[in-house]
Amino acid sequence: MDQAQRRGCEYAEARYQRTSGLSCLARNGVPEPAEMVEAEGIGVRLIYDGALAFGATNQTSNENVSDLVETIVRNAKVAASVIKDKIHFSIEDTHVEKWGTEEKKKVENVSVESVISLLKDVDKTIAKPISDVSFPNRMVFAGHDVEEKVYVNTDGSRLESRVPRVYFASILTALYEGKPTTASVPPGFSSLGGSGGWEIIEQLDLTNFVPKTATEITNGIKAKGKPPVSETLDVILGPNVAGLTSHESCGHPGEADRILGREGAQAGESFLKADSLGMEIGSSEAYVSDDPTIPHSMGFYLYDDEGVRARKRQLITAGKFTEFLQNRASAYYFGIKSNGSSRAVQFDREPIIRMGNTYIEPGDWTFEEMLKEVKRGVYIKSFMEWNIDDKRLNQRYVGLEAYMIENGTLKDTIKDPVFEITTPKYWGSIDARARDLEYTCGTCGKGDPMQGAPVFFGAPHIRLRNVRVGSR
Amino acid sequence: MMAQSRASSIEEIAAFALSEGKNLGCSDVSVTAWKSNDSQVRFSNNTITLVNNVRNIALEVYISKDKKKIVGATYNPTEEGIKRFVQNLLSSCNALPPSEDYAPLPEGPFHYHGEANFDPRVTDAPLVDFVKQTIDSGLNAGAKRVSGSLNTRTIEQFILTTGGASGRDKQTKMLLNVRAFAEDNASGHGLSCTSYLSDFEPANAGYTAGDYAKRSLNPKMIPEGRYSVVFTPTVVANILPVASNASAFAIESGTSFLVDKLEQRIAVQTFKLEDHGVYPHGLGGAVFDAEGTPTGLTEIVGNGTFRSMLHNVTTAKKFGKKSTGNAGIIAPQPITIEFGSGDISLHDMIRETKDGVFITNNWYTRYQNYSNGEYSTVPRDAAFRIENGDLTEPLVGLRVSDSIPRQLNNIELISRERQWIEWWEVHIPTLAPAMMIRDVQLTRAVGS
Repeated sequence: MDQAQRRGCEYAEARYQRTSGLSCLARNGVPEPAEMVEAEGIGVRLIYDGALAFGATNQTSNENVSDLVETIVRNAKVAASVIKDKIHFSIEDTHVEKWGTEEKKKVENVSVESVISLLKDVDKTIAKPISDVSFPNRMVFAGHDVEEKVYVNTDGSRLESRVPRVYFASILTALYEGKPTTASVPPGFSSLGGSGGWEIIEQLDLTNFVPKTATEITNGIKAKGKPPVSETLDVILGPNVAGLTSHESCGHPGEADRILGREGAQAGESFLKADSLGMEIGSSEAYVSDDPTIPHSMGFYLYDDEGVRARKRQLITAGKFTEFLQNRASAYYFGIKSNGSSRAVQFDREPIIRMGNTYIEPGDWTFEEMLKEVKRGVYIKSFMEWNIDDKRLNQRYVGLEAYMIENGTLKDTIKDPVFEITTPKYWGSIDARARDLEYTCGTCGKGDPMQGAPVFFGAPHIRLRNVRVGSR
Repeated sequence: MMAQSRASSIEEIAAFALSEGKNLGCSDVSVTAWKSNDSQVRFSNNTITLVNNVRNIALEVYISKDKKKIVGATYNPTEEGIKRFVQNLLSSCNALPPSEDYAPLPEGPFHYHGEANFDPRVTDAPLVDFVKQTIDSGLNAGAKRVSGSLNTRTIEQFILTTGGASGRDKQTKMLLNVRAFAEDNASGHGLSCTSYLSDFEPANAGYTAGDYAKRSLNPKMIPEGRYSVVFTPTVVANILPVASNASAFAIESGTSFLVDKLEQRIAVQTFKLEDHGVYPHGLGGAVFDAEGTPTGLTEIVGNGTFRSMLHNVTTAKKFGKKSTGNAGIIAPQPITIEFGSGDISLHDMIRETKDGVFITNNWYTRYQNYSNGEYSTVPRDAAFRIENGDLTEPLVGLRVSDSIPRQLNNIELISRERQWIEWWEVHIPTLAPAMMIRDVQLTRAVGS
């Protein structure tokens, strides 16, 4: 930072980051080679005459870092001579603090042997057919990593952090009547876990949870009913599906860098504009928040990678967009303070705007109360395939476990219902939210080079009125 | 003894890690050390938003002892760091059960032919000037806003194994991804992907993006249904991931549509797909794989028939084959993918399609069922209706919802021209043609 300031930079920050992890995989109960990764080095970002430049190296001798800073400054000077819009950062409070996640069973003390042992135990629970469905191919994954950072900037902030994370995931091939189907526990290629020690994995009680969920999934695998296409009806989405919608069609379009066009060629832009705050996007029952400060969440952090203290953000309130996710550059553009949304997943990646834990706020209904009021509809409990266009207007989720609803009662299972809907129609159709908020874990992809950020998706059961489903 | 500073050569680093593994009693050790220099200029709204430079020296180590196997990577290539890392690897390795699939590393020595595609001029290429050319071309073609990123990579690798493999490799890449906007709903995409400065065409990529954007103004929606669709090389490289499905690991795991399909017809007879270690004067590549096996040419699909999986030594042993030089220690993977070319120009392909849709770019491809290849993907940027053999109105709001096997058997036309593709949605360098595929299911969202 001193060198950058001597070279005339108006701002500089340095982040030493070490990420070490272990991941294990068992296929049909047989361990594959475990993988260990240690990535560490220093990332430096600076602003020279309105030009932003970043550089990183794992060669951290004084000489190498000095040479890196010279290169970054030189790059910034070249860019400064041609840029049309100068970049400025919002003025923020400075912080000097150590922060982290409480862990009872430190992940460094969790041996590869115990991880493999867990995976083999979990595999045994689904190795035999469940309800006429066998799982001839089973891949179960578990692992942990520790992210340690020392962050300093020329404003005077100095932050040290340690966040361990743990996870479990699976990909299964289910076989029923000779036909193979891909499934996962949890469904939707998502995962379970959070930030903290190995006790989080132990609390999941995977040897009970996995066979229970696999049993539920068999209802979808065996389904023969056809979705009721070309019909206007009601849809209840389970937390597994609804949680992802909060991420895809609210969190992403609410990222200020997309709104301002900075991700145009990669993750895309947004249907929202800089003046869209206050815009009505949904019904009065649409409430979505993002909160990185949830203890033991996968997207947990207390300070972002620009030294800004994290807090809860209310993205949609009673159907209106009320807040965007901001970093210091976008906050300056909007004339506000950053809400601490800037994260880098590794030492050699620039910090960019990311979600932490995005979720639909719970309401005061029960699932049974919602169901009782549906005359004809579809309950999509879980999903596998999904995607959305890069402005976040046109989204699709294909059900894994799904049922017809008639006169307030769950009826036959249906195969692969396709819920393909625009974002305003989606948020505008919600009329009820249950109390049963659930989270699953995911890896959010954004940036160039790609940065996969750990996040939670969360939602309770929600009900949408007068929508449609399709079929494959 | 290796130098104490972090300025050690990748040869010294690999030799030290190998000796550490051997001294600890490992029967198999493979070390790949690399030195990389990545530069990037990101731009949006016609201006530069970030200049980026990353330099790393790191290593990947595979060890096996008593048929137990583990692999790891470290960015701490000091003597002390490597010692600690290899010891940690071994202590975790000892805790694993012996692998039922153990196969020893291939026995060398091997002769590696030359090097991957490399041009020393790439490292110091004037990226800011190229970005200015890209933006100007996009604007000149009719766009109002141009965004993108230009990345260059120079990487040197050195491998040493207890099997006697010893070799050096290096490659360069220049990857330009540009997106131009004439209006919010009218955008176009362009790429220039090469290993050689002389082949780099920023102005052409910018113009292509800008021209598509200008022609996409006032897009319309079309009804859901089955259409004959012309896909550009950019889309073909993404929606037909036959090479990654040919990994023996994916087939064995049930996450491929090619399970039990070896020597069976999986595509129209004109469909051909190969994997190369190094495609001459192509994009990237590698002369050795992670186990030290020399890479080469593998015919994956010939005359529409699935000819070969991709193997490392472990999967090769299981399937009674030889390694194809595609290791990944855990999973074999393609290195450079080549789709066979056809005999028609893109212009004539559109003309012969008569009635259909032209899709120039896509993103967010996701699968409902790996086993049968059912997937959907979202077209992005320019798409057009084809009527009477001409491109007519621009389209918006589409989604392709189909399956890989169905599409492989519905390929009607393959273009003569091919293009190198590597970008956000295509991670493995791919030489792809345009294709016309009939009866492609297109859907759209409700509430539009």
